[in-house]
Amino acid sequence: MTHTVLIVDDSLTVRMDLAEAFEVAGFRPLLCGTVADARALVRREWISIAILDVLLPDGDGVELLQELKTNTKTAEAPVLMLSSEADVKDRIRGLQTGADDYVGKPYDTGSVVARARELVHARLPPSLERDAVLVVDDSPTFRDELRRALEGAGYVVFTAASGEEGLRAAATHRPTALLVDGVMPGIDGATVIRKIRLDAALRGTPCILLTASDDRGEELRALDAGADAFVRKDEDLEVVLARLGAVLRRASNESADGSALHAPKRVLVVDDSETYLQVIASVLRSDGYDVVMARSGEEALEMLAVQTVDCILLDLVMPGLSGKDTCRQIKSTPNLRDLPLIIVTSIEDRHAMIEGLTLGADDFIAKSSDLDVIKARVRAQIRRKQFEDAHRRIREELLRSQLEATEARSARQLAEARAALVESKAKMAEELERKNKELEAFSYSVSHDLRGPLRSIHGFSHLLLEDYANVLDADGRDYLLHVRAAAQRMSDIIDDLLLLSRVSRAELRRAPTDLAEIARNVAAELQNRHPDRTVELAISEGLVADADYRLMRVVFDNLIGNAWKFTAKTPEARIELGVMETERDGDGNAVFFVRDNGAGFDMTYAQKLFQPFQRLHTEEEFSGTGIGLATVQRVVDRHGGRVWAKGEVGRGATVFFTIPRDERGGSR
Amino acid sequence: MTRNHGILLVDDNKSDVELARRAFQRAHPTGWIAVARDGEEALDYLFATGAHTGRDSTIVPEVVLLDLKLPKLDGHQVLRRMRADERTKRIPVVVLSSSAERQDVLTSYELGANSFVRKPVDFTDFLDLARLLAAYWLVANEPVDGG
Repeated sequence: MTHTVLIVDDSLTVRMDLAEAFEVAGFRPLLCGTVADARALVRREWISIAILDVLLPDGDGVELLQELKTNTKTAEAPVLMLSSEADVKDRIRGLQTGADDYVGKPYDTGSVVARARELVHARLPPSLERDAVLVVDDSPTFRDELRRALEGAGYVVFTAASGEEGLRAAATHRPTALLVDGVMPGIDGATVIRKIRLDAALRGTPCILLTASDDRGEELRALDAGADAFVRKDEDLEVVLARLGAVLRRASNESADGSALHAPKRVLVVDDSETYLQVIASVLRSDGYDVVMARSGEEALEMLAVQTVDCILLDLVMPGLSGKDTCRQIKSTPNLRDLPLIIVTSIEDRHAMIEGLTLGADDFIAKSSDLDVIKARVRAQIRRKQFEDAHRRIREELLRSQLEATEARSARQLAEARAALVESKAKMAEELERKNKELEAFSYSVSHDLRGPLRSIHGFSHLLLEDYANVLDADGRDYLLHVRAAAQRMSDIIDDLLLLSRVSRAELRRAPTDLAEIARNVAAELQNRHPDRTVELAISEGLVADADYRLMRVVFDNLIGNAWKFTAKTPEARIELGVMETERDGDGNAVFFVRDNGAGFDMTYAQKLFQPFQRLHTEEEFSGTGIGLATVQRVVDRHGGRVWAKGEVGRGATVFFTIPRDERGGSR
Repeated sequence: MTRNHGILLVDDNKSDVELARRAFQRAHPTGWIAVARDGEEALDYLFATGAHTGRDSTIVPEVVLLDLKLPKLDGHQVLRRMRADERTKRIPVVVLSSSAERQDVLTSYELGANSFVRKPVDFTDFLDLARLLAAYWLVANEPVDGG
């Protein structure tokens, strides 16, 4: 899209000059000579950016700025103020009112356009797919040599034979990098680079200075001017290419930081002498600096409050706030104290110099000094500041990387600790697995090998009784019966222990299970085995639990089996299976129960019921191994439920249990 | 065909062998019972090799009662070899084991056992079992002629 630039200046020359430059840059310029014209235009047109002169025939640019900033139609448009350096107050006023930048007159058309483009974020012409390199050198031979080498390496190459031509070419082609000869007639390489650094649109372009000599001074000047690298011409062209590659890589890596480094240097000159201000300004401008002039210490401080600078040249003797006081104030203001400050004075005595330096000034120059000395001092101070900044950045970077390293280290330690935990868990699981295997092997041999001898004991006492009954008296036969019964009992204990171990290890497979059906099956089998018994069964329908069928079968084998056994001496035996109508356990789970009207038990011993081998009746009263209820508890436990019992001697017993839903949400 | 009413009992426990012998004599007095004390001997008997070289191998027991825990070759290995050989693959095998561990039962059937029975501790129960096995395998069941 085309951006519209509003240019308000009473000078026709300025208007035409800027209009031409903006048109070339792809903007649509709207030109006004007065505030009134500008107001009328703004009502009709949408503007992308405004360039405002401060002094206008029918009003004040800063007031116009205020109007633009408060008008919703124009409030978002950036504003660039143009003003003669005489109006420092206007500069301050403008920046305070909301101007985005301030360019002093006389201005450089290129940098105004570049700055404007930056402010509207105008799209730059689509960049070339290959990196374009601009070679600026006055030697045709070397130019051609370099061009061939660069083109061979895949670069697009533009050439210029002088500094001036080079700057124009840079503006036109916007190369991705610049190779410039250090020594040329007209503007030299260092100046070309400094001017590139001044151009908002070009300042990020990596620059490499080429030189024929071994002169360290030239190298310093080049780096001072903002060159990214320095290559001697007599070095192999491969070296040039390598340097170029490195510089381009770096540029793409840190373009954000780089542009700040290459921003044009702004120097604040504080002096009550208009003549001296003009002289210094023109000298510094010719060296590529943006110069801001303040006519008093007060003005300087006001100025510094709204816009920062890179170096301050401060006259020591001024009316009003003295140079000393100004210096003291600057040096005691936190964001300003690091700015390089050079004291300039005509008083050439040691005392003044020492005093100035005591106040915190960074350098001291006499007004009578050669202008080149002043330039050099300014350059040196700015460079020092740059080094310090770079140093600080590096230190911060280092600190950050150390912090990151520490963080990474603790993250690694955490990860290692976690891994160790996982590993130890895995080891424990492995150990458990191994123990389970051992237990299984043990159970196997118990069931297999303990039963063998029992079979022999039982079998041969049986044969003795049968075949040799006539040689044994009644006591002998009775003893043999005891031997046989003991073997049978031990076999039962082995079976029950195996079952207990099996229900503890078996995989839990939960599914909706009809408890009533299991109970009926168990009862039917018991009836088969004891056809002479008459037991009334009251089994509720629809007792469904989220349980393992095989394990619940074990539960009812024991519960119904117990009820069956303990009602053996009850005339009207009754066994009931149901669910409590109103009562729930603490977690809201249904409470199932198996009730009988048999022998019952003493509640004093209710705790012992579920412990293995605990029996509340003698073997003569009711047989049993005392493992059954422990097995029931184990199964209910594995389902996450609870089991308890109530009873009364001679009036029956009730066993209650809960089977909560599977918490893991797998099966219902 | 003529029935020989023979049983091959494979068991290494002397007492168990004695009890079984007594039980089967009582259950089926006209039958005979051969005993092998380990897996290797069981195969030697069946194939008339080793210590049983020269035995008339046309006399094939009508049922093999096979314990699982045996010296040398165990019961499952014997069963595998029997089922892999043309001469013995059709002989009924009843596994007679001290335990009825699920895995043992599964493996036995997978290897081609015809039945799996747990040896009861109570000798009265064992006598009942012997009667049941004899009545079924030596009388009711129809073997393939010549094994």
